[in-house]
This record gives sequence, structure tokens and C-alpha cells, in this order.
Amino acid sequence: MDKARILVVDDDREISNALEKLLVREDYEVSKAYNGLDALDMVMTESIQLILLDIMMPKLDGLSATLKIREKKNIPIIILSAKSEDSDKILGLSMGADDYVTKPFNPQELMARVKSQLRRYMKFGDIGNGERSSRICVGGLCLDTDAKQLTVDGEQVRLTAKEYRILELLMSNAGIVFSAEKIYEAVWNEIAYSVENTVMVHIRRIREKIEINPKEPNYLKVVWGIGYKIEKV
Amino acid sequence: MGTKLRRFSRNPATKAIAFILFVLLITAQIVSVQYVRFQGLNPDSLFVENYKDSGSFEAEVRRAISFTRDVLAGKAVPKQYVEFYYYINDIDNTWTNVKDASREFFAQNDTAFYAFDNGNWATGENTNPAPVVNDYYSNYDYGLKQYYTIYIAFPKSFMEQKQAAWQKNADRLMPFVIAFVAGIIMELLLLGYLAAVTGRKRGDNELHASGLDSVYSDLQIAFIILIPYIWSRIITGAPYIDQVRRAPMNTAQIFSIAYVVLATAAAFTAVGLLLLSMIRKLKAHRLLKHSLLYLAGYFVYDFFKSLFDGRRFSNYPLTKSLFYRQLLFICTSFIMVLATFLLIAARTFLCILPPLLEAGIIYWFVKGSRKTFDDINKGFNESFEGQMKSERMKIALITNVSHDLKTPLTSIISYADLLSNEESLSDAARDYVKVLVDKSNRLKHIVSDLFDLAKSTSGNMPVEFEKIDLKRLVEQTLADMNGDIEKSGLALRTKLPEGVFNIMADGKKLYRVFQNVVDNALKYSLLGTRIYIELENRNGTAVATIKNTAGYEMDFTVEEIMQRFNRGDKSRTTEGSGLGLSIAESFTQVCGGDFKVDIDGDLFKVTIQFKLAQNQVTAIA
Repeated sequence: MDKARILVVDDDREISNALEKLLVREDYEVSKAYNGLDALDMVMTESIQLILLDIMMPKLDGLSATLKIREKKNIPIIILSAKSEDSDKILGLSMGADDYVTKPFNPQELMARVKSQLRRYMKFGDIGNGERSSRICVGGLCLDTDAKQLTVDGEQVRLTAKEYRILELLMSNAGIVFSAEKIYEAVWNEIAYSVENTVMVHIRRIREKIEINPKEPNYLKVVWGIGYKIEKV
Repeated sequence: MGTKLRRFSRNPATKAIAFILFVLLITAQIVSVQYVRFQGLNPDSLFVENYKDSGSFEAEVRRAISFTRDVLAGKAVPKQYVEFYYYINDIDNTWTNVKDASREFFAQNDTAFYAFDNGNWATGENTNPAPVVNDYYSNYDYGLKQYYTIYIAFPKSFMEQKQAAWQKNADRLMPFVIAFVAGIIMELLLLGYLAAVTGRKRGDNELHASGLDSVYSDLQIAFIILIPYIWSRIITGAPYIDQVRRAPMNTAQIFSIAYVVLATAAAFTAVGLLLLSMIRKLKAHRLLKHSLLYLAGYFVYDFFKSLFDGRRFSNYPLTKSLFYRQLLFICTSFIMVLATFLLIAARTFLCILPPLLEAGIIYWFVKGSRKTFDDINKGFNESFEGQMKSERMKIALITNVSHDLKTPLTSIISYADLLSNEESLSDAARDYVKVLVDKSNRLKHIVSDLFDLAKSTSGNMPVEFEKIDLKRLVEQTLADMNGDIEKSGLALRTKLPEGVFNIMADGKKLYRVFQNVVDNALKYSLLGTRIYIELENRNGTAVATIKNTAGYEMDFTVEEIMQRFNRGDKSRTTEGSGLGLSIAESFTQVCGGDFKVDIDGDLFKVTIQFKLAQNQVTAIA
């Protein structure tokens, strides 16, 4: 297959250039736009596989651009923004973005996210969804309950038996918060007594396997003071 | 002086005993006086040694002299048997009750001999001359003629008998007098002691008021005067039953005494308590201020002061005009009312003029005031809007500065990363780039912390309140930080009691709070020491404490450490933004909790408090 072409949209030239260099280093082809309107044109005219989009831009801001692009195209959009409030992230994702990365970002992490989105979109995006009932999919996570296997953006990840059962519980009830005791009783089949630490250790290990940045997880989240959940996407 | 003595003297029991003793002593004194009255003991016998010099004897002599006068005036029949000898001669008649009526016979009784001859009074050698010197009868105008001769003498045996009785009287009275004087000394001592300790309690040097102190001072004084007055009326009204001298008291007298005892004890208890209350107030320097007179005076003073005092309005032009207009309105209205009455009294038709004028004044006043109120409203709205505007600007400022800082930082981080992957770099350059990468990442954290703090302290941080279990949150935080804790080499001791600690807070923010505090403890603890984390329910409040032993001397105050950007170590070598505790404090407050830092020697203690949510029962799925 050809190299993937990525559209970088940011009014700050230095950042665009840096992104271009980072992406080229990872063997992607790069197009650049400096405002939302140009970006829209390029999405329509060129063959683009992923967009990195800033929010605060002249002419057309990133959020409106996302809405417009979504009317026509299904390509992954990663928003890059200095706005770091939770409400900003939720707004961006609900407008149709696939990921939200706050500036200043860690270049390695951004590259990993780009890779993850592309993989999901190009190799795996169109096939899987809802085909087999034995598959539980949340975002890029897919759990095959027959084969007892987990794939993250199409790549297989090895899990221990306990980790698998925790994920199965949380993924099949995506969006629901489970307390450590509930998880322990369901997975270990024993009466739970001060198990917060045990459960947390497993949660952390799972995170390291499925999350790009385990400190800011996309999927497996701690609901502080209540429990744990897999974010419904 | 020992504290032991102080403890004893300030003991409520000691004070109560002293007070009761005081009242009992007074009562005993009054009763003994009453008893002496009943026994018919004459207190004169204490001061006058001899009966012949006493007032009682003086009265006897006067009676005798007045008897002679009555005889001379023909008003009395001369009696044969009286206690004294007499000889009366008015040339025409002679009256006597002795056979040998010579002057010598009378003069034998030298302690009680009175003679009138040649127009002069004379007395015996050892006789007290007081009755004749002082007596009204020595006045010639009352019919005592020059040529009269009068001898009076009390027999020696009579005088000796009287003298013995007099002496006995004194002897019986003496113990009462000594007891009375001793009683007064005791009372003064007790009163002095009570005055010194009243209002003081063991263990402190504060002045404690009691219930009676809330009575106004002048009322207290009125009672202190009124109660003894009523008491004296009761005492004098007590049945006085005369009786045969030296006999034991009869029943009526015993009842009378009991009556006096009750009245006295009650009266002096009340007076004593009031007196002590006044002493307490005096000690507290509010004896004068806490009186009706003072309050009334102050009210009058304040009334006129507030009426004519425009100083505090002078800084504000709007209220100033309002005040002077009001003053003018009150004064002119008063004059108008006065003028109306005067003109009505003068029965002139002009009396309708002042009311008309007054109507005009009211119109002017209302009109002027309305304008002032409008101006005040306008000013208030303007300042309110200004405040809103500055609030909005603050939010915009935070957002803009945040964006402006983050954008170049993004470039720095990205290019530093690109540079670090450049293969043509020398080893030295590679080291430099590494520093760049590290520091730019640290800057990223500081900027992020700074804006979190700015948002939360300026009240621009959205907070999502939900019911969370504080205990679970602490456990989760510690489990989450497990890696850091193990790396630090410090031991953690937790004491989390059974049960649920449901509170209303924002879980994410509160996680930051505990993360920052524990992180702080990990960073600055002495190696090999323990960090203590405890949670307890204190009367419906969840209290979490995090204690650690500092690894350096904490030569700063709590205020200093809580100031933004301050860190314990002055050298600022450790990683971190220095905002950790400030963020923890601000986030706790944003969530409605209480954040407190205590420093005690090397002990660093953080206390976080939250009100527990109402229904504790709810478990979590």
C-alpha cells in the first residue's frame, strides 16, 4: 500500500513544520493547511487518510471544520489544541473527532496516536463492527470471547487470565462503573476484603497494554472515589 | 504563690462555703442583738463603769427631782415609801420621809446626794452632777424659788445593790460584744477573699461572668438599698416580747428569733450575691457601662450624634446631599409644626400658612431624594457591571495567556524532539538537547499547574459534584501511586476505618488533591521514615490526615509554604512546579472542603476535611 497522507492544519507555521518533520520521520506523506477553509478544500480534492487539526484558527475554526468534514468524509480526525479543559475535549469528540490531544503534546505519544488511528481506519475499521456476536468492541478495542483474545486497533495484545476477565466484565458493560469489590468478586470468585490495591494493580497493567498514554487513558478509566469503567465510545 | 493555693482558693466549693459562712455570721450577729434585747441587757454597762454615772441612774434622779417639783406644785401627794430619801421645804411646809431630815443625814449617802438650798444645786462628794447640771429643772423660771430647800439622797444599800447588778450586766454582755467584733472582722476578711476570687476560675486567668451580672448595675444598686430597707422593716416589725429578766426565752420569743433568722439570711444572701456581682463587673471594667443610666445616656448621645454627624457621609457626595437634605427637612418641618401651633394659639387665620409651606418642603424633599436614589442605583449598577466585566476579562486573560504560552512551548518540545533524533549531532550537542527536552517538559508541567491554580482560585473552574466515597478515593489514589511509593523507599502506614465515607465532591479534583499531598510527602520525607495516612469520622465530618517527617529543617511558616511557588527547600532543586500544595488547597476548597497544614518540629501534617453526605447507607454498585 502507498504511504498514508496526513493533513496538518495549524495556523502556527513552526508547529506545522515540526509536525511535518515528525510525520515524515515516521514515513508518512504530509499536506499542510493554515486555516479551516483551506483544510476543507484539501480534504475534498486530495486523497487524505488522517487529519491533525488545530482548534483556534482564522477563517474557520477546528470544531466547525470537523463538523463540515464529517458531512462528507469518514477519515480519522485528531484535534490538537491548547484548550485542555474536560469540557473542551468532550465538545471536540462529540463534534466527530476521533481523538483529542492537548498542546503541548509529547511527540512520541502523538505519533503513537496517529498510528493507532490509521491502523484502525485502514486495516480494520470497516471489517469488524458487529459481524460476530462473540466480539465485543469498544473504540479500537476488540475482545473475541471465543478465542479469548484482545486486539487494540487490530493488533493482538497478550493478556493474563485475570486481566482478560476484568476487561470482559468492563467491556461488556461499557460505561458502567464497577467498584473494586464488584470486580474482585466477579473475577476472583472470592469475598472481597480490602482489594482496592489488588484490583488497581491489574487495572494499571491492563492500561499499559491497551493505552497509548497510561497516565491519560482513553479507554480504561478510574472514577475517583467510586470505581472503574471502560469509556463508552 | 503556689498554684495549689490558687486551685484551692478558686475552687467553687471553697467560694460557696465562704459565702455561706459570711451570711451565717451576719445572721448570728443580728440574732445575738435580738437576744440581748430580749434579755433586757443594757449596753451602757459596758461603757460606764459605775451605776451612779449611768444614764439609768440619771433617769432615776430626774424622776425624783420631778417628784419634788410635783410635790411643791401641789400636784403630787408626797409618798412615804419611795426608793430615795427626800426633804422638801418651802418655808410654809415641810415634806419628808425621814425622821432626821438634817443635811448631814442626807450627805452621808455621798454617791447619790442632791441638795437645793440658797438658790443653788449642790451634790454629794462622789455624786454625778449630770442630772442637776443638765436638767431642765435647774431653770429658775420653772417655779423653783430661792427660798426652797430640797434634799434628795439614794440610800447607800440601794446604790450598792444597783452597782452589783450593773457589774453583772456588763459581765454578761462582754462575750456578746467580743463575738460581735470578731464576727465583723471575720466578715470583712471573707468579703475581701470573695471579692478577690469572684469571677476567677481554676485553670485560667479569664474573668467569668455569671447570670446575675446581666442585671443592670443601677438596678443592682437599687436592690442593694431596697433589700436592707425591707429587711430592717421586717426586723423592727418582729414581735418584741418583753419578759422577766434573766428567765429563759419563751416560745413566742423563739418564733420571733426564727423569723429574724430567716429574714436576715435571705436578705444578706441576696445583698451579698449582688455585691459580688458588682465587684465582678468592676473588675471587668463594665460596672458603669452596663447600667441603664449609661445606656440611656448613650442612646441620647448617639441620637444627637447621628442626627448631626455628617462626617461619615462626606466622602460620598450622593449620601452627603441626602443627609443634609434630610437634616434640613427635619429641622424645617419641626419649625413649621411649632409655627402652626403658635399661630393657632394666637387665633390668627395665618395658621394655614405653615402647613402649606410644609407641603412644599415635602415635595422638594421627595423630589430631591428620588434623584439621589436614582444616582445611587446607577452608580451601583455601573460598579456591578464593571465587576462582571473584569471577571469576564479575567477568564479571557487566563484562556489567552494559556494559549499564548502553550503554542510556543509546543514548538519547543517538538523541535527538541526532532533535534534529539538528529543523527549528525555530536555527543555534547546530544547532552544539550537532552537538557532542552527535560526542561521543556518541566515547563509544560508548570504551565499546566499554573493554569489549573489560576482557574480554581479565580472561581473559573467547572466542578462536577457527585457522591463519592472518600475512603475509596484514598485507597485508589494510593494504589495508583504504588509505583512512586515503592520507588521512594518510604513506608506507608494507613488507618482507614471500616465503613463508607460518602461526601459530595469532584472525584478528579480530589484525586489531584491527595495525589499532590502524598507526592509532596514522598518528595520531602526523611529517608527511612514512615508516612501516616488516616481517615476518621469526627461528628459527621470526614477528616483525612497525612503526616510525614521532613527530611530537612522546615524553617518556614505554614503561610509561607502555602504561598504560591514556595517550596520547602530554598534551593529549589527538586522536580516539580512548587504549586502542588497550593493546588491541593485550592481544589479542596473548590470541592467545598477544608485544607489545613500544620508544622510541628519535623512533623509535617496536612488535614483535609469534608462534611459527610446525609444518607450514609447508600452502597455503591
